[in-house]
Amino acid sequence: MGRGRRIRLSLMPTDFESVEILGGEEEVSLLEILDHVLNAGVVIHGSLVISLAGVDLVYLGLNVVLTSVETALNNLQIEEKRKK
Amino acid sequence: MSRVLAYCGFQHGAQIALPAVGVGAAPVQLMSSGGLGLLWSEVEWPFVPDQMQRSALEFHEVVRHVFNQIAVIPFRLLSVFEDQQALRTFVDENQERFLADLERLKGFVQMECVVYPAPGQTQADSSSGKAYLEKKAVAMRSSEGFAQAVRNAVAHLSHEVRVREGKNGTRIFVLVERGRESDFRQTVGALPLPQHLARRISGPWPAAEFLSDQVKAPEIVNQKVAGQKIAGAK
Repeated sequence: MGRGRRIRLSLMPTDFESVEILGGEEEVSLLEILDHVLNAGVVIHGSLVISLAGVDLVYLGLNVVLTSVETALNNLQIEEKRKK
Repeated sequence: MSRVLAYCGFQHGAQIALPAVGVGAAPVQLMSSGGLGLLWSEVEWPFVPDQMQRSALEFHEVVRHVFNQIAVIPFRLLSVFEDQQALRTFVDENQERFLADLERLKGFVQMECVVYPAPGQTQADSSSGKAYLEKKAVAMRSSEGFAQAVRNAVAHLSHEVRVREGKNGTRIFVLVERGRESDFRQTVGALPLPQHLARRISGPWPAAEFLSDQVKAPEIVNQKVAGQKIAGAK
């Protein structure tokens, strides 16, 4: 699959499968990426979905992560509808 | 509807190669204020849940593209602004604080080590309340001991260390000079680990754990964020 960067899809700490994306060479866990893009960095007050902040996503199951995101997005959609 | 998604801030001025596209193949645009550069895209909001994983990777790739060249302050993926004017107000109000953090963190990256119960060790002894608490106490002491061992072992290459206890283990964040990531990996990877614990080393990441509180959670005055009007928040 070429010389792209390997990303390990991690459902549990010891349960890995691999995919590749273009880029560097170091291995990182998809869950760690999700954890960082959702939980690390600047939090904008008032953003409804930011209630996800504080949830330690690393080493939770991928389904749990995506379910959390989905639930948050559903809540956001409900909130948006309410405003219309 | 569309919203403005912020990716990251960085010291603008040096010759930095910027990514062309971001989440949902949207063009990545640059907003400057003083010496601060901030990347953003106009995206369809809310994100489609089925594409959340792809969006996260695309977001990560934009931040990583800049972070590979220079220190960045990442935003969180789901932080969106109502429109470009709201982002402009935010950038103008916060540029000094952002630039101060970027100057302080210039030349450093964040490395991490997570210590967690080894597979097969996660089942606490439930034969009695006392046994359960004893086992928990042993696990906590082991994690704390390992965290201290990491502090000692990386003292020669760390600028700062922070430790955070979580439900799923102990997270050790270390601010390391850029270019010394492999030293960190070798040093921490060589530390003896109690049998019932496992470790996972990752990085380099943007030094998000070491941002000042005012940058991590900036106050916003009289602007709309994600559809909410925040008035007089100060």
